[in-house]
Amino acid sequence: MEMKGFTIWFTGLSGSGKTTLARVVEEILRERGMQVEVLDGDVVRTNLSKGLGFSKEDRDTNIKRIGFVCHLLSRNGVVAIASAISPYRDVRDSNRRMIGRFVEVYVKCPLDVLVKRDVKGMYAKALAGEIKGFTGVDDPYEEPLNPEVLVETDKESEEACVQKIIRTLELMGYIPGADASGETSEEEEEKIRQRLRDLGYI
Amino acid sequence: MAAFWKRRSSDPKVCVFGVDGMPHALLRRLMDQGVMPRARAIFGGGLRRMRVTLPEVSSVSWSSFMTGSNPGTHGIYGFTDFDKGSYRIRFPSFASLRAPTIWDRLGRRGKRSIVLNQPSTYPAREIPGTLVSGFVAVDLKKAVWPPDLARKLEEMNYQIDLDTQKAGKHSDYLFRELQSTLRGREKVLGYLWEREKWDLFEIVVTGTDRLQHFQFDAIEDPSHPNHVHCLDYYEKVDALLGRVFDRFAAETGDDSGSGFFALSDHGFTRIRQEFYVNAWLVEEGLLSFRTGEPKSFEDAEPSSKAFGLDPTRIYLHRKDRFPNGCVEMNEVPELCARIAEKILLLRFTGEPVFRGAFRAEEIYSGPETVSAPDLVLLANDGFDVKGWMRTGPVFGRSHFTGMHNWDDAFFWNGGPMPENFDITAIASAIESRLAGKEE
Repeated sequence: MEMKGFTIWFTGLSGSGKTTLARVVEEILRERGMQVEVLDGDVVRTNLSKGLGFSKEDRDTNIKRIGFVCHLLSRNGVVAIASAISPYRDVRDSNRRMIGRFVEVYVKCPLDVLVKRDVKGMYAKALAGEIKGFTGVDDPYEEPLNPEVLVETDKESEEACVQKIIRTLELMGYIPGADASGETSEEEEEKIRQRLRDLGYI
Repeated sequence: MAAFWKRRSSDPKVCVFGVDGMPHALLRRLMDQGVMPRARAIFGGGLRRMRVTLPEVSSVSWSSFMTGSNPGTHGIYGFTDFDKGSYRIRFPSFASLRAPTIWDRLGRRGKRSIVLNQPSTYPAREIPGTLVSGFVAVDLKKAVWPPDLARKLEEMNYQIDLDTQKAGKHSDYLFRELQSTLRGREKVLGYLWEREKWDLFEIVVTGTDRLQHFQFDAIEDPSHPNHVHCLDYYEKVDALLGRVFDRFAAETGDDSGSGFFALSDHGFTRIRQEFYVNAWLVEEGLLSFRTGEPKSFEDAEPSSKAFGLDPTRIYLHRKDRFPNGCVEMNEVPELCARIAEKILLLRFTGEPVFRGAFRAEEIYSGPETVSAPDLVLLANDGFDVKGWMRTGPVFGRSHFTGMHNWDDAFFWNGGPMPENFDITAIASAIESRLAGKEE
């Protein structure tokens, strides 16, 4: 199977599980022989987008830059995995249009659960007013309307979320399936087809 | 010698007796009529009617049983499915199953299973124990685990299934082969029972399903010339059930059957009319073909909005799923609602044809829901939905006389079970029993 590049775009509130899922998906895709690059929003802000702040304009610029790099990687046969809050729908959609082979994964988790989790201690600060313009607290997050994959990390296990993402990629024909062995031969398929016909299924 | 030495181990054991497609209503009737006296003696008043997962076909139901999960988790939605990103039809195999089986889970606890004639496990793969695959297995060499068992089964003239083509055309062949395959299974059961230690032994009788597809009218009609042959087969199945139960009780001392589970994977009823879902989609303007005699969905016009797959699945022609797809994701809810509304209003001689039309997320849960059909239909008894590739009349009849149904499978176990349960609950009940716990 010829491997073509594409982009997996993880979007969701801070602490929802984007980076964790992106890293597991990266590992699985590498095991299946794909070239993968992860662009993590937090990391990108320390180099590619260094100096940008959290105004809407700066946030959009950051997401456009990540999108552009994903576009370059994807068209050169690499699987680009972006993991960024990316709160604004129009910029995500504009990246989708530019990249084409684009799989949006909405990592959904209710705010109250995130506040309880508060892995980085950011929600406590945002709720205390120590951080301004924090997405989901006093800055908007525009949910994707039609993501290719919706995972709900407060309800689904990490394993189930990853399986959902991988299956979607398989079904879209972007990655090879893991179950190539154990399938039936063409001759066997013909026999199976005949039996199913005999019993009225097809 | 084996019968002389009773292994009354303190470790609990479980035996599963599966009867493919045996309806609760028919079983109850045959028990009451004295055709199945051993079933009556064993099951008594404890026989339960059971719902299965949708669609109500063996590949889906047995996968739900063996994984203890719904299709949204195990990923099997029918005997056929669309190949990834194409219109080509593929046949999901055992390798397509996305959830661990009960035998795998028991194996992690050091328990061994022997599984005989289990549908939807072909090609066989390693399980902790022994597996002989059932329908749709075609090659015995690939239908057994461990592989060296194939030679022994060949020596025993073990037949996986009867010739379904002949069975549909010649009833004398059907009745002869039903008896012969049943005898063959019992012979292999005897061999495997003694061959190695086991904690779970499972056998599935599949001849009942074949009989009911082709002879349901004869089963129901005492004046039908084949009626007596049908009853004769049920008597044989009943006798086998009795012998397996007795053997299990003698070996374990479990006379109450707390470790004995009997079930079918769906019900069966008489066909009144066949309903051709693709012909209906054509009539509704949702599907059109480039040719008058379409061979596959590759012959569909790119403007087609939906396809029907066996038996009750509707897949929208989504852009994210098919190469020439024309349905955007945001159109899916409205289109599904429109199809559901129309189909639920459909009448045949004044009677509603369908009682339900469900979106995937209404009836499935788990990561495999992403590959589920967009809409799953539930027909009223008597209306057999066919996903055949055809245009023309929406209703019709063929040589088939019996159809599956969803809520008339049967279940029995001598121990306690929850009040409301379906086929997905049985695996955990078996695991609990083997762990020495009550449900």
